[in-house]
Amino acid sequence: MSGAGFETLKALIVEDNAHMRSLLRALLNSIGIKEIAEAAHGQAAIDALRDRKADLVLSDMAMKPMDGLEFTRHVRNHEHSPNPFVPIIMITGHTEKHRVEQARDAGVTEFLAKPITAHNLFSRIAEIVERPRAFVRCDSYFGPDRRRRVIDDYAGPWRRKEDFQDMDVR
Amino acid sequence: MTKKASSEAHFIAPDAYPQLMSSRAAAQAMKVLRSAETEVKAQVAMEAHVPPMRAAILQYVDELEHAAGDMLMVFEKVHEIRGFAETAGLITTGRIADILCRYMDDMYRIKKPLDTMIVTLHVSAIARAARAEDDDLKMGEVVAGELAALVAQRLADASR
Repeated sequence: MSGAGFETLKALIVEDNAHMRSLLRALLNSIGIKEIAEAAHGQAAIDALRDRKADLVLSDMAMKPMDGLEFTRHVRNHEHSPNPFVPIIMITGHTEKHRVEQARDAGVTEFLAKPITAHNLFSRIAEIVERPRAFVRCDSYFGPDRRRRVIDDYAGPWRRKEDFQDMDVR
Repeated sequence: MTKKASSEAHFIAPDAYPQLMSSRAAAQAMKVLRSAETEVKAQVAMEAHVPPMRAAILQYVDELEHAAGDMLMVFEKVHEIRGFAETAGLITTGRIADILCRYMDDMYRIKKPLDTMIVTLHVSAIARAARAEDDDLKMGEVVAGELAALVAQRLADASR
């Protein structure tokens, strides 16, 4: 089967472990993504993005000297960011609630807990392809809309009623 | 389409910024993601990475053992091991690492000191499980269960 949907995409893998980078590259290859750049930490990833655009980013969280959170904030907010809207999948072994919230608040698009499986990685990519997220810009945040689910027939009280006064609700 | 939801937040709909691909390409991409051919290729890729991942785990285990006393380093290494072990086929190693991760995460969260005996027991069990390649699962099942019970008890005590 041709991977026409993915063949033209460029990906960036940001991960400090070479074996995990290799595995992620192989999994992206298996769906047809061939143009893949790699970086071992956030600063190297920023440098890589200056030279070459990326349509999709897979990033580890815990890296030195720059971690995946700071990298994500840079991509989303820096005035010279080449693509503030680029989908970022954060892949990490740190799955505590506050870490997930940090990732969400940094502006990641999807969060994937290690150990990774092909199924889990592909389900995050499918989410990005099938259900692209709205973005939100306010004083303290720019990134994908952090409210993941909107229940069409929800009949209970609104916590932030003003949010719904002038927007499309899917 | 950009909409202003309140005086501060601006919502930018998906059709108002560059998308990953066209809807036609997306349909094709989803077929690829769900195809049996992709599943086979991905499985081959995963299996090909088991030996190097296992070597990486053993490297992390060495670093974990040498980190004795440096709890920050133990914290970092055990989270790495948790993240990699299952991919390397080391199920019990991953399970024990997960118990230690949860213990350390919870103790940091409730701002209580770590019990070095608990940490040492886990580090030792992780090392033994990771190095017992042929008998990883059987060897560690009982140990993992006992460590999980011990940690649950200590966390309950610490939360009182």
